[in-house]
Amino acid sequence: MSAGEKKSKSSKSGAAKKSAARQRAAHGVSLTDALAEAAWSEADLALAQALADFDEVESAKRKDARKDALERLGQALSRAARKRGLSRIGEIDERATFDAAHHDLNEAVAKTPKSVRIQARGVARGGEVLVKPRVAPAGKKKRS
Amino acid sequence: MSDWTLCIDFGTAFSKAAVAPAGAWSRFDPAAVRPLMLSAEGQNAFLLDSAVFVDEDRVLFGRAALNEADAQADQRRAALRSFKTLLSVSDLDRALNTNAPATIDPHRVFQMRDLIVLYLAYLLASIERAIGADPMLAQGGAFSRRYAAPAWRGGDSAGMHDVIVRLFGEAEAFRAAVGKRILSPDGLSLRTISDALPKAMAQAEALEMGLIYEATAAAAYTSVGLEGSGSHMIVVDMGAGTTDIAALARLGPRTIELPEARVTLKQAGDFIDRIIANRVLDTAKWAKRPEEKSELWSVLMRQMADIKEAIMADGRATLRNQGRSISLSLKEVEKDQDFRDFQKSLRQAYDHALAVVRDDARARGRSEVQAIAVGGGAAAPFIQELIRRKMESSRPRVIPRPATPDWAHAREFRGNLAPVFPQLAIAIGGALAPDSMLAARTGFSRPANDRSGTPAERD
Repeated sequence: MSAGEKKSKSSKSGAAKKSAARQRAAHGVSLTDALAEAAWSEADLALAQALADFDEVESAKRKDARKDALERLGQALSRAARKRGLSRIGEIDERATFDAAHHDLNEAVAKTPKSVRIQARGVARGGEVLVKPRVAPAGKKKRS
Repeated sequence: MSDWTLCIDFGTAFSKAAVAPAGAWSRFDPAAVRPLMLSAEGQNAFLLDSAVFVDEDRVLFGRAALNEADAQADQRRAALRSFKTLLSVSDLDRALNTNAPATIDPHRVFQMRDLIVLYLAYLLASIERAIGADPMLAQGGAFSRRYAAPAWRGGDSAGMHDVIVRLFGEAEAFRAAVGKRILSPDGLSLRTISDALPKAMAQAEALEMGLIYEATAAAAYTSVGLEGSGSHMIVVDMGAGTTDIAALARLGPRTIELPEARVTLKQAGDFIDRIIANRVLDTAKWAKRPEEKSELWSVLMRQMADIKEAIMADGRATLRNQGRSISLSLKEVEKDQDFRDFQKSLRQAYDHALAVVRDDARARGRSEVQAIAVGGGAAAPFIQELIRRKMESSRPRVIPRPATPDWAHAREFRGNLAPVFPQLAIAIGGALAPDSMLAARTGFSRPANDRSGTPAERD
């Protein structure tokens, strides 16, 4: 079906075209799958880089080499996340009022805290929260 | 009356196309937006390489053209790319009638016009294949067509539009003559082309086609569904070669550009790449000899997209070269005098354009101006800061919009449209825009600032 063809032209062979279209649809790739593959194609490269960087982190003999490799690992993971449309929620060390629906308490406590500090940022895609920010009661030292 | 609107974004590196139902602007349903899978190769089916390669006895298109150009690079052969740059020159007829250089056409038989018509025929054939493969679109219906382009600085959009529509018409006639053969990875033989191309050019079909400015397309995907609040908009478009600032006003059913607001800066993505590379070269004390510097420059340029993205998004990038780690932070880039000069020019240009669009909004009793950043540099912190700055006076309010609109996160796409949206944005926006946003149509065009017959309205 040419984009420029007139409607009358297209309707003449409508039935045949519908049948062909169904066949194509049956064998074809869905739009969302193709979009996913397009987004993943760049994320895959970044993830592959991250795996190699992770090995360098583990095998580094010197402290500065390990630090460098860790930085590159974080960079590759951030890139993979961006290519998949993921974004961070909150800032590390940010204080917030504790809300069990929006936070994951990162340590066992006897009493639910009122105020918390973000230890690890959450992750979202669009409006969907995939991982809630991990928090600890405010006033306590960060976990090292 | 058409059932669907197709918009072609004829990009410098890639061409893209998208389809939306006619009337999508007033009855918007994200699920009905259909980016087209133009490419049969590669993992990103939505990007069709803008490339033509003239081989010994055939002409190759798209990815096959680039692969062959790479294979023959040592023979001083190259693929023709950057059609978009050619199409935006002020003397278009003269540029089209120029012979292609020997690196591109060793036979010296093609003019630039011929090669562009051949590529457009390949693009139209790819669009037809993609429509046939889309279960929703293949059901049939009539399509109205338009293409997106930057606003031409010469101002003669009518004249240039007619030339480009004529090229599409010739391409359509050629595509009809050669059929699906043009999509073969083996390309088309020179013999087939020499037989069919002159006839196609002589019998070009008269096409109905519209032109939409890229800034207007950006306004369309941003403001669709915003009702009256999207009446005025300022668009910052940082691409590779230029940074363009445009202001748009929706007056009644039409959208016009406010030409006095338009500013184009010659500094953009490529300029920032050079700043980053120079800063790294300055810090890499071990690269002293010219050949070491030259090699490091090449490495940096090959990885620049990732390096720049990490600097802008994470504030820092680290890369490896010959066993050494090199880091560069955003703060270091911001200290660069050339970068600071660019930021200053950008701020002045933005302030000027914003003042124009706010004055227009105020005069028409509008309460809001939407600010949006598009193009490769849209996510850069200094661009985001620019559109998010607080204004001294509160009305009309300036509302920054996200580079990827909220509707691109709709559940129907299962999170898969938003990550690739920036690449497809102009084609999608162009397909969503109502006819009243077109800058020109075949046989009819209006100046960008034509306000005739448009009464002032209030919120």
